[in-house]
Amino acid sequence: MMAALQHALEHAGPAGRRAEELFGQYQLDSHKRTDRLFAGLMGFQWIAGIIFALWVSPLAWYGTTSRTHLHVWAAVFLGGAICIFPVLLALFRAGEASTRYTIAVAQMLMGALLIHLTGGRIETHFHVFGSLAFLAFYRDWRVLIPATVVVALDHLLRGMFWPQSVYGVLVASQWRWLEHAAWVVFEDVILIVSCRRSILELKDTAERTAALEQEVKTRQQAENVASLTAAVGLALTRGTELPAMLQQCAEALVQRLDGGLARIWTADDRGDALELQAGAGACPQLDAQHTRVRIGAFTIGKVAQAREPVLMRAADVIQPVADPSWAEREGLVAFAGYPLLLDSKLVGVLAMFAPHEFAPSALDAMAAVADAVALGIDREHAERELARYTRDLEAAHDTQRQNGEQLATLVDQLRMTQRQAEAATRAKSDFLASMSHELRTPLNAIILYSELLQEEAEDRPQPSSVADLQRIQSAGKHLLELINGILDLSKIEAGKMTLSLESFDVRAMIHELVDTVGPLVRQNGNQLTVHCADDLGTMHADLMKTRQILLNLLSNAIKFTRDGAITVDVARGLAGAQPSIVFAVTDSGVGMTLEQSAKIFDPFSQADVTTTRKYGGTGLGLAIVSRFCLLMGGEISVESFPDRGSCFTVRLPIEVVDAVDEPVTVGTA
Amino acid sequence: MGSETIGPPLERPSRGKRLLWFSMLAAVWLSVVFSGLWVVWAYENRPGTEANPPQAWPPHSSLVPASDRPTLVFLAHPQCTCTRASIGELAEVLARTPNHPKTYVLFLRPSVVDADWEKTGLWRSAMALPDVTVLRDHDGVEARRFGVETSGQTLLYDAGGRLIFSGGITGSRGHAGDNAGEAALVALLTSGQADRRATSVFGCPLFATGN
Repeated sequence: MMAALQHALEHAGPAGRRAEELFGQYQLDSHKRTDRLFAGLMGFQWIAGIIFALWVSPLAWYGTTSRTHLHVWAAVFLGGAICIFPVLLALFRAGEASTRYTIAVAQMLMGALLIHLTGGRIETHFHVFGSLAFLAFYRDWRVLIPATVVVALDHLLRGMFWPQSVYGVLVASQWRWLEHAAWVVFEDVILIVSCRRSILELKDTAERTAALEQEVKTRQQAENVASLTAAVGLALTRGTELPAMLQQCAEALVQRLDGGLARIWTADDRGDALELQAGAGACPQLDAQHTRVRIGAFTIGKVAQAREPVLMRAADVIQPVADPSWAEREGLVAFAGYPLLLDSKLVGVLAMFAPHEFAPSALDAMAAVADAVALGIDREHAERELARYTRDLEAAHDTQRQNGEQLATLVDQLRMTQRQAEAATRAKSDFLASMSHELRTPLNAIILYSELLQEEAEDRPQPSSVADLQRIQSAGKHLLELINGILDLSKIEAGKMTLSLESFDVRAMIHELVDTVGPLVRQNGNQLTVHCADDLGTMHADLMKTRQILLNLLSNAIKFTRDGAITVDVARGLAGAQPSIVFAVTDSGVGMTLEQSAKIFDPFSQADVTTTRKYGGTGLGLAIVSRFCLLMGGEISVESFPDRGSCFTVRLPIEVVDAVDEPVTVGTA
Repeated sequence: MGSETIGPPLERPSRGKRLLWFSMLAAVWLSVVFSGLWVVWAYENRPGTEANPPQAWPPHSSLVPASDRPTLVFLAHPQCTCTRASIGELAEVLARTPNHPKTYVLFLRPSVVDADWEKTGLWRSAMALPDVTVLRDHDGVEARRFGVETSGQTLLYDAGGRLIFSGGITGSRGHAGDNAGEAALVALLTSGQADRRATSVFGCPLFATGN
């Protein structure tokens, strides 16, 4: 605290002026107070003089007759005359220098009267010294001068005219009145010293009070700034609607900074105009067209254009109002405008009028508020965008949810359909299996009996029926082949086809196959060439299915090749990263187009409809081959050109893993 | 309730005019006061009728003078407030002289006044003085024998009955304090010498006819 006071005293700017003002006020108060004190004292002395005169010397005697003593009249009229003028001055011109000088003269004159009324008692002379002490209450040593002069004149004049009444002798020397006056002057000196000390103390008190006031004012301003910052922060963080937020900010500015008017403008979306958003205080009605101000127009627009704070006299502000002199009428003297900037982007302008000059702390506070309001506006814009995005997102979420629900419904329906399809497939497979079984039994009987009948017919001399029986047998075998194919295919699709894995020598299997198809090869005039790599070794797979795969491929090659060449290449290779055996069956037959190649592995598909009629077959062979390859973890591919032949390549793992429990993908390789 | 001023606003007098007015009023005031004081001072300093005492002790006086020391005769009006200061100065004289004179204080006692008219504070004050004989002066007989007209008149006769001082012993009317009469009286009583043997007397007239 003391350090603050010392600091304030050292920087005697406003505090120094305030100290002088307070000192003057203290002096004036002291003078007025003492004036009133003397007004009462003089009235009291007047009354006391009258009472004393009436008591001590009411009558003057002439033998046995008497009259009112002159002292009584002197006490009444002369005492009244002495009092009336200074008392009136004290009542109506208290504090004036002339009043206290008059009072000083009157007080000493009253003393002279009282001394005479009391018969010159030595005790009454103390009235002079008491009066001087009373006059010292003014803390103005100059009032002692007229008082002392009156005492000196009293002695001087009476010494001149009635020396005996003063000095007791008829002819007094000049130094006697000086001696009397010297005692008075002696007291004057003491009182002057006292007055000067009292004045110094009064000055010190004024300076301390001014410093304290300054400190209080500074703290008050700091509290106002803090309160303003808090209020603005609260408004900007808790508010949801921009106009309401800015209105609270404007009201806080007016209240906390003792402002006359505060307005907040925001830049429009295009950034070429300001729009009034909030105003508080002595708001005059803006012209209707001026709630929107172009950037660069009026003082507000110039602040926005310059993007620099402006501090100027209120009278110099160019305003968008019908009556430009309103600020003067409202007693507003100062104007401050702050651009609301966010990373050098203008978002608005803060403007404030005040009935006093802005204190530096107020300007700092406004600058801080301007920054905060800019952030608040930006936050509100961001929240508005966020709200829009949120709404869009929620709409998208709703759509997605609806789609999800539809998808779930579709999935359920699909599952149901799948289950139905699986049930149908199982039913179909069961049906096919049972039907094939039921068909094969009589069909085998038909084929067997037709063979028997053919043998008997060949032995009998009726060879004409042999051809018919051969047709019956051929049709039966075809039908049996077809049924077996359907049965195998349905087993595969039903997941009931099992593998019978075993290790076998590849080369031996190939030679066995060649022996099997040898007659057929020669029957069509074809030449079969087999190339087996030396490192073939054995493989672990389903021997029967492997043989069936290769047998089907060789049968097809033989069937579609006339007087051509058929080649079987067997070698080790890779199926992905897995060691495998690669079987390639190449012919120089009719070949296929690309479209025909694409559907050659589909069930009941052949190169064209004429193929079946021309070459026979069920259309299930390659479909079964393809599924067997997949069943053993291998693959099959074809490369064919019309009239140039075909090349079927099968890759089977050397070590086939039994995966019959896993579902088999049905499709082309 | 508002007030409305019609006409131009009143202008506060200029500082010069106010000073002039103040000076004039102050001058009037001081004139009145000093005039009054002057009257008071003049009244207080106007001496009473001078006495015409016999140079030798009057032979028809009922008072008996002392033969071995001076005899002081003080004549007073018992109602005169101015004489209070004279009684005080007499006490001062007696206090300052080791050998008291034979002292008579005679208070006027007209025959037309009420009883105990003369028993005032002055009487009691005089009675309190040492070696003082306080007596009534019926109808001012002794005052006339000593040729005295004014209250406070003091006469001093030596042991031989010769008048050696006549006058007042206050500086002005009713004004206490050092004065020429008192100083002369003390000098005569202590050393037998004084620079003056007569002073003015300030007090009420003992006889109405005298005014």
